[in-house]
Amino acid sequence: MDIQFIKSLACKGFLTLPLGVALAGCAGNGEGLDANGRPISDIPIVNSDFQEIQDTIFTPICSGCHSGAGAPQGLRLDAGNSYALLVNVSSAEVPGTLRVNPGNPNASYLVQKIEGTAAVGVRMPASGPPYLPQDRIDLVRRWISAGAPAASGPPNNLVVTSTIPAVSESTAPGLGKLTVIFNANVDSSRVSADTFTLRDASDQLVTLAGVRVPTGRQNVVEITTARPLAAGSYQLAVHGDGPAPLAGESGFVLDGDADGKPGGDTLIPFDVNAGVVR
Amino acid sequence: MTGKKSFLGLVGVLALIAFSGTAHAEPYLAAQMGLKCVQCHVNPTGGGLRSVFGNAFAQTQLAAKKIGSDEDLWTGQVMKFLAVGGNARANYSFTDVPNQDSTNDFAVEEARAYLDFSVIPNRLSVYIDQRFAPGNATNLEANIRYWFTENGAYVKAGRMYQPFGYRFEDDNAFVRQMSGFNMQTPDEGIEFGFEKGSWSTQVGLNNGTGGAPEVDSGKQVVARTEYVGSVWRMGASAAFNSTDVGDRVGAGLFGAFRAGPVTFLGEVDYFDDDSIGVAGRKLMASLVEADWKVLQGHNVKLTFEWLEPDNDVDEDEQTRTSLLYEWSPIQFIQLRGGVRMYDGIPQNDLQNRTQAFVQLHGFF
Repeated sequence: MDIQFIKSLACKGFLTLPLGVALAGCAGNGEGLDANGRPISDIPIVNSDFQEIQDTIFTPICSGCHSGAGAPQGLRLDAGNSYALLVNVSSAEVPGTLRVNPGNPNASYLVQKIEGTAAVGVRMPASGPPYLPQDRIDLVRRWISAGAPAASGPPNNLVVTSTIPAVSESTAPGLGKLTVIFNANVDSSRVSADTFTLRDASDQLVTLAGVRVPTGRQNVVEITTARPLAAGSYQLAVHGDGPAPLAGESGFVLDGDADGKPGGDTLIPFDVNAGVVR
Repeated sequence: MTGKKSFLGLVGVLALIAFSGTAHAEPYLAAQMGLKCVQCHVNPTGGGLRSVFGNAFAQTQLAAKKIGSDEDLWTGQVMKFLAVGGNARANYSFTDVPNQDSTNDFAVEEARAYLDFSVIPNRLSVYIDQRFAPGNATNLEANIRYWFTENGAYVKAGRMYQPFGYRFEDDNAFVRQMSGFNMQTPDEGIEFGFEKGSWSTQVGLNNGTGGAPEVDSGKQVVARTEYVGSVWRMGASAAFNSTDVGDRVGAGLFGAFRAGPVTFLGEVDYFDDDSIGVAGRKLMASLVEADWKVLQGHNVKLTFEWLEPDNDVDEDEQTRTSLLYEWSPIQFIQLRGGVRMYDGIPQNDLQNRTQAFVQLHGFF
């Protein structure tokens, strides 16, 4: 019986508590997943406030309870269901109040629940504190004030929203694929080994085997290295400057330095560490 | 009960406690004492209003010290046909989320009151569980309960918590959160129960909408059965919810045993939920808990939980480890404090938060 098997049993609660605690660390390492714990291929394109609300609030926080047929108060907040069950729908707790009253955040039960001012029940999320940060509440208010649209037009910029490995992350040896996720679809004709460069600790270029936009995931770029990365420090650069700046489908050049203007490089330092176990 | 009859009744209850060891409210207390939930609660599935026995236990066995005279014992019976009770929890908590400023705050977690009108004593009751804070009043349970014979079969109809696994006080326990059966999501329907010998069994039929109005013709069936021994217990739960957006099928095993001053509890639940997303999901959660009765009125609780939010996705598991100390200095007061450590995927800060809290819990 090897340690992985024992750990698996302990994680699943089949062994006693002391053993489970002693072997704690049974959480997933998140490899291949987005910040919501979903496979990277499920990442939707962020092109509206509502999508951002879904991706940063509903999916990661609310849908732990508010999903499926038994969702509290019948409110399912998983992607694909949330909009239809929120906008212009009466609250189950206070039927006279709409969950989302387009144009009127103060009269929206959703806002009252996340701000803790609702007439009935506990402040959401029920697992709080922590409750939602003010910038997330402001996002919900802004979306409702704008009429609670299902989606807006494509964004007027292109920025990196997340990467795998993440910035400053230590990952295990053997890494051979890097993933970069953008807020909008990228122009695949401008995706090449010149647009993405990977350097090691001695500033030497690491040879890349391929750079591609996966089919059906136009806001994602996958970079494959020629060989698995050895232990050491690395930095991936996504270029918004130079001879081959990356641009989105709508023509906007990457805002790599996040100054609100096209141009600049996004730098993602990370480590490959022999001490990290997958 | 009033006057002399009341006092004599209490003496009887106390004598029963002395012989049986004790009784209680949370699952670990029941397991510690080898008793069924119905021993301490008027609700056969546990939680809510405490019975005369439960109140007597809270005053004589749960607390480190009892103040006041024995003749002033609270039974919950304020009139011949009416029993009342309540719970209030005030928290101070500190939360640290990676890459965010830590927060700390005072909050009223809950203030609830229970009423049980025994219009035909030991046979027919109307029961109400009302939450008054936070926010305005919310009804959590409102049902009519009829016992066919004393301690035998019963039927309950109305709004109620659904029987599935252990009814933990902590609604955020992964097994309660994932299964959707907790004290935040009562549902409306009917429940049949059987309390015979060492067995406790319930079968329920309800809307399956988490307390919201019914939206389709499908219904949810929930069943739970448990063998309760003096040292160990074991049970199983099952649920099937048929809805227009997909079926939800779940099952769970739970059990407990006592080893000296330490009581161990465990539960593992599995759900196949076609009503989530396009492809549906298979979810799993487990909990292992150890409660060490250090001294009368002092309990150390150590809990390890595991959550698999999607069995088809690797490396998305989460864990939660809790270490709590519960001190009941006098009857009806409990001071709880501890730390809960969450561990999840590194790219989600909330799944890696740490929480410390102190809670003053008043109950009667």
